[in-house]
Order: sequence, then structure tokens, then C-alpha cells
Amino acid sequence: MTRQLHLGLGLMLSLCLGVGGSGTARGAERLIIEAALDRQIVEPVLAAFAAENPQIDLDYRDRSTLEVDRRARDPESPPDVVISSAMPWQLALSNDGMAQPLDAPEADQWPAWAKWRNEVFGFTFEPVVMAYRLELASHMPPPETHRDLLDLLTHYRQWLDGRVVSYSPRESGVGYTLFQQDARYTPRAWDLIAAMGAANVDFEATTQRMLEGLSDGRYWLGYNLLGSYAMVWAQSHPDIIVQVPNDYSLVMMRMAFVHRDAPHPAAARRFVSFLLSQRGQHILAGQTPLFSVRDDVVGPYTAQRLRDQVGDHLYPIPINATLLAFVDPLRRQAFLRRWDRELQILEPPEQ
Amino acid sequence: MPPRTSLKRRLTLWLVVIVAGLGTLLLIEAYTSARKAADRAMDGQLEAASLTIAESLQWPEGNPTLEMPASALQILATRWQERVFYWLQADNGTTITQNADLPITEAMRAEARQGPVYLDARYDGQPIRLSGREVDSAGWDTQEPVQLWVGHTRHGRDLLARELFRKSATRFAAMVLITAALVGIAMHTMLAPLRRLRQALRDRRAEENSPLMLDVPREMQELVETLNRLFADQRHHRDALLRFIADASHQLKTPLAGLQSTSELALTSHEPGVWHQALVTVHDSAGRTSRLAGQMLSLTRLQHLGPLHECQPLALDQLMREITVDWADRQDSRDHDLGLAIEAPAPVWVEGESWALRELLNNLIDNAFRYTPPGSEITLALRGDDAWVTLAIEDDGPGVDAESLDRLTRPFERGHRQDTHGSGLGLAIADSIAGRHGSRLEVSNRAPRGLRVCLTLPRCQPPEGGAG
Repeated sequence: MTRQLHLGLGLMLSLCLGVGGSGTARGAERLIIEAALDRQIVEPVLAAFAAENPQIDLDYRDRSTLEVDRRARDPESPPDVVISSAMPWQLALSNDGMAQPLDAPEADQWPAWAKWRNEVFGFTFEPVVMAYRLELASHMPPPETHRDLLDLLTHYRQWLDGRVVSYSPRESGVGYTLFQQDARYTPRAWDLIAAMGAANVDFEATTQRMLEGLSDGRYWLGYNLLGSYAMVWAQSHPDIIVQVPNDYSLVMMRMAFVHRDAPHPAAARRFVSFLLSQRGQHILAGQTPLFSVRDDVVGPYTAQRLRDQVGDHLYPIPINATLLAFVDPLRRQAFLRRWDRELQILEPPEQ
Repeated sequence: MPPRTSLKRRLTLWLVVIVAGLGTLLLIEAYTSARKAADRAMDGQLEAASLTIAESLQWPEGNPTLEMPASALQILATRWQERVFYWLQADNGTTITQNADLPITEAMRAEARQGPVYLDARYDGQPIRLSGREVDSAGWDTQEPVQLWVGHTRHGRDLLARELFRKSATRFAAMVLITAALVGIAMHTMLAPLRRLRQALRDRRAEENSPLMLDVPREMQELVETLNRLFADQRHHRDALLRFIADASHQLKTPLAGLQSTSELALTSHEPGVWHQALVTVHDSAGRTSRLAGQMLSLTRLQHLGPLHECQPLALDQLMREITVDWADRQDSRDHDLGLAIEAPAPVWVEGESWALRELLNNLIDNAFRYTPPGSEITLALRGDDAWVTLAIEDDGPGVDAESLDRLTRPFERGHRQDTHGSGLGLAIADSIAGRHGSRLEVSNRAPRGLRVCLTLPRCQPPEGGAG
């Protein structure tokens, strides 16, 4: 617990430092970015952009997905650029007319599957993974697929009881989206959820907290973590193993758009164009774990390289109008109701 | 001079006016039908999405619930990635779910109750297309209809309509170009006969007056025929003129040659008696030649005189009487028996020029004296009724050949008679004068012998106060 607090403090400290760092570069033009994307992860990209555009005063505000959505809808002080991993909410913002089309060569050349209405662009390629502690492997075969996970939860429940963690669909837009997408691909996802319920699964609002719990030893197994964060974490925490599911792996994309009422539209367009440009994507692939979408970018973190490593069972969450169904309040309500029911359905009769 | 108009320009102008008017109508029609076609095609998407959503609507435990089908929204978005809107409300007014506060009026809801509707609306400053239907869904506790409205922006429809419109506009433009080319070719072809005629006229020499031989369309045939008639008239006139000049030269040449030979003969002699004799001959010959020239002048003057300008009512019988008396006193009439026969109700008033009618009578009488043997009986007659009078001169001389009768009024025509000193111009002059008075000289042989020359004139009212 103390360690977690310490870590949180460090995060806050570095966040403040980051903000201070960009604050020194005073320029004529401001650029307000509301983002659900950790500042220290994306810092190399911001630094490169600031170096290329010294006249632009970057105001990067790191928030939760739901907060980003709320601020994007605030008519009083609209941001310039909105970045979020909550893909359905980003698409809903575009559908509500909050985004403006980006008229730039980078936008035109961007792959059609990774953009919507030429307004919202998925500019990262982050696989959704499982992560487990090394000691799990000494008690049971480590999971490689969703079926393995269900088998473990069924056959090793006594070991895993209270030691499984996943994204909270209630508190996190990303978590909700991932489970919705899981349930869309196969109804057996509900069996998995029921099994997790039976194993008294814990839910966290961020990947960061799940990773911390794993390192703490509170959790042995995490499901549906963002691969980008987990892979970085695993590099410095050798006791954590990251597993990209072998049957299918969802891929989440951060989505960025220029706000319709952006107070600094020129700078906003330049920033999003930079994110999509070869240079921006090159930094993304080389200095961040966010994975570049572009085929013509070389680096350790590219969609192409990921495909080469894990095979072609990567399933990017489709960027289209189907996502809008996820944010329908009635559907969300129905999903959560079923979610609650499924979690309870396998209550062990002996208890 | 009126402004020159070009057939080509006029045709082009008409074409432009027709194409512009017709084109505007056609393009408006094409635009509206393109929009309609695009709407028809895309309304199917609205219907599909609407039906898919309706299928998912359920009433568990008395509350309407809907697991919004993701595919319905994708269908609604279409491949043009429209903004999509949906709006579900129970008939009692409670909203089931919506993602946009669509401008649905009570009238629209009433219409949707009758059956599925499709209509245009505006939302968020953008034109959108809406489709509404009422869904009857029965549950165990509640049986309440639900109003289901879906809609999307018009981007794809506009693109589709624009493409359709562009196609029709292209077709129309191609049609206009083809029409223009065809009209151009047609104009060129149709104006070709005119150009041929122009060229044919331009290539003619001034003296050429043969008829035009051109292959022209029926509409232009009349023009060519008129031109050919004009050319024929010119040709006759010119022929007559040439014949007159040739005859006149010939007539003048004979006495002049006589004068020359007489004077040459006289010059070779030293006898004053011969000279005297030659001078007498020269004097006679010069007199005849002078008279001939006078008559030629008279004829030319008559033919080139304008219309009657000294015309007035005159008593023809009076005039004839005067002239007959005049001739009877002359030496020329000693050998002939000249008589006058007025057989019309006197006085006979006609419209005419006094000097001309006098000339006419003189010529007729002189002619009769010259071409009849001495002792012939010559009668100047005036016959007629209340409306017309016929002036005639009749003799009992030899008459002329039947085939020469028609030619007698031509200049220098003597009816094969070379035995007189007549110039052959008398009857031609008389005919000209008759022509000036709207009549014609008629020449015929009498039975058993003799010649009759006559003309018919209308009588007129006696002048005011002059009748008494």
C-alpha cells in the first residue's frame, strides 16, 4: 500500500515536471490538448512537436477518459485537440458534431480502417493482453488463450480466488469497451465473466493500478490490460509476464481529433497532422510503447512488427458506427445488468 | 438600307435560345430526379436500420428496453460515414432512448402512426434525412406502441445526387455539342445551293444572258426562274436594240453611199449641167436621209419617253378632220383618194396626248400613201360605241404577205417592198404611240385586197365646260 502511494507520488511529480517543462516554452499560440494518455509515455512525441513548433505553447492536460469526454462537451471552454482511448465516446463526439474534418495529406493517406469521417483518427495500435506473476507458472500451466484462462479459473479456483484482476467496465470506458467487444466476438465471454465472478475477481480503473497490484503480489493474473503499458512495465519488472492471447487479441487505438470549436484551429490541425505524420509515428514507434499504425515506419513498436511477432490474430476494435451502440445508455445499462448477473451466477453452492 | 442579317447567325441564335431554355428545364428536372433517385436508394438504408432496431425492442417487466444493435447504426452510417441519429419514444411520451434531440413534431408523429415516413429536416445546422415508424410490440404487462425515428446526414445522398446529376449534365452537354455540330453541317449543306447560285452569278460576264442551269432545291427554283425570266427579257431587249442599230446603220449607209457616188461622178465632169443634175440628186437624197434620221430620232424619243404626262381629253373626230383636211391640201395626196368616215356617235372624247396622236395619224396616212399605188382609195375611219372607239386606216392596195403581218410594226420592216422611199419606221412609231395610250396597232389584210391598220381606245367623259 505504501509502495503504491509512493509510486503514485512519483507519477504526480513527473507529471508536474512535464507540465513545467512545456510551460517554459512560451510562444504566441496556445494549444490545449485534453488527453486520456499518460504524459510521460507520450512525452517524446510532445517534445518533438514542441521543438518543431517553438511558437506553439503546448498545454497538455492528462485526464481520465470520462473527464476528457466531459470537457470536450463543455461549450464554455472547448479544447483544441481531444485524445482518448475510449473509442466509442470519441466516435460519439464525432457523431455529435464535436469534431472538424482534418484537411491534410497525412489525414488523406491515413488507412481507412483507422479513421472515421476524416475527423477522428486512431493513431496508436495497442494490443490488449493478459499478464501474470511468474509464480503462477509454478502452480498451473500459464494461460495462452481465452479458453486457457477459463480452464484455469474453473480448475484452479482455489489458487486464483481473489487473485484475478481486470478492467472495471463501470469505472473505465476502456474496460467497458473491451468487455463489450469480447461479448460481441463470442458469447463464451460470458462464461469467462461468470468464472471470474466465481473466483472473486477484482476490478481496477486503470492498467497502471492492475500492474501495481501484480507487482505487489496482491494479484497473480490480470485480464484485459493495455499491452502498451504492460510491456513497458514488464521490462522493469521481470516477475511479470505479458501474454498476448494466442486465439484472438483485441487491439485498442487511441483516437485524436480537432475540436469543432477549437480556439486555435491551425495549431490543432498541425498537431494532429504531426501525430499522423511519418516523423510523429516514427517517434511513437521508437520512443513510446504505443505502436505506430503506419506501415512505412520502422522501430521496435509498430503494428507490423507486432503482427510479425504474435501472428495475424490481432483484432483492432473496428472504428465505425457500431461503436456508437456501446455508448447508448440503454445498451450500457442492459450490459451492466447482465454483467452483474453473470458475476453472481456461479456463486459456489457450498458457500 | 436595312441592317444585314445572317442566316447562320439567326439559326445559331435560335439554337442557343432553344438550348438555353430547354437546357434549364432539363437540368432542373435532372437535378430534382437525381436527388429523388439518391433519396430512394438511401432511404432503403434508413428502412433497414429502422427495422433492425425495431426487432431488438423488447418489453421485459413492463419497461421498454433495447439493446441497440450495432449493425443498425453501421447500416445507418452507410459507407459515406454519415452522422447517425436515433430517437425512440413510447406513445405516452416517455423517451426510451435517443442519441440526439431530433426535431420531431406532433404532426410528424401523427404521420408516422399511419405508416413509415421519410422526410427532410434540419438538425444541428445541417440538413438531415429522417425516417419514422410506429412499432407495435406486445409484452405480458404492457402493449404500447413505440415511435422509432432514425436519421442521418445527407453527405452520401448529396454525393450520389451530384454524381447522377453530373452524368445527366454530361449527357446533355454531349447532346448539345452533337446537335450544334449537326446543325452546323445542316446549315452548311442547306446554304450550299445559295452559295452555288452566288458563284454562278458572280462568274457570269456582263453581256451574258443565257438562262441559269442550276440544280437547286424546290424552294429556290422560283428564284432561279425569276432570274431566268429577267435574263430573257434583257436578251430580247438587247437583241431588239442591236437589230435597230444594225438596221439604222444600214438605212443610213445606203443614201450616204449614193451621195458619195453621185458627188464623185459629178467631180470627174467639167460640165455645169452635170453638176446641177448631181446637186439635185444630192438634195433629194439628203432630204430623204434627213427625214429618215428625224424619224429614227422620233422613234427613239418615243421609246425612251416616260409615261404620259401631257394627257388630256381631246376630241378625236375633230382631230381627224383637221388632219384629213391638212393632207388633202398637200401635193402628195393628188394621186390618191383620201376619205374620212366618222361612224361613231360624235364628239368622240379620248384621253391622249395631242401631239402624239397627231404624229400617229400623220404616220399612218403617210404610210398608206407610200405603199399603195397611185389611185388607191384610202379611208380614215372612226367606229365604235359608247365605251370604245376604233381608229382605222384602210386602203385597197396590194396588202402584205400573211407571214409579214406581225412584223410590220418593227422598225425598218417594209413587208418586202423595196420600191418606195419609205424608211420603214412609220408603223413602228405609230405602234409606240399606240402603246403609250394603252393600245396596240393591229395590222390585217382586207378582203378582197388591201390593208387595214387599226387601234382601239377607250372613250372618256368630255371635259367640264368643254363639251358644249
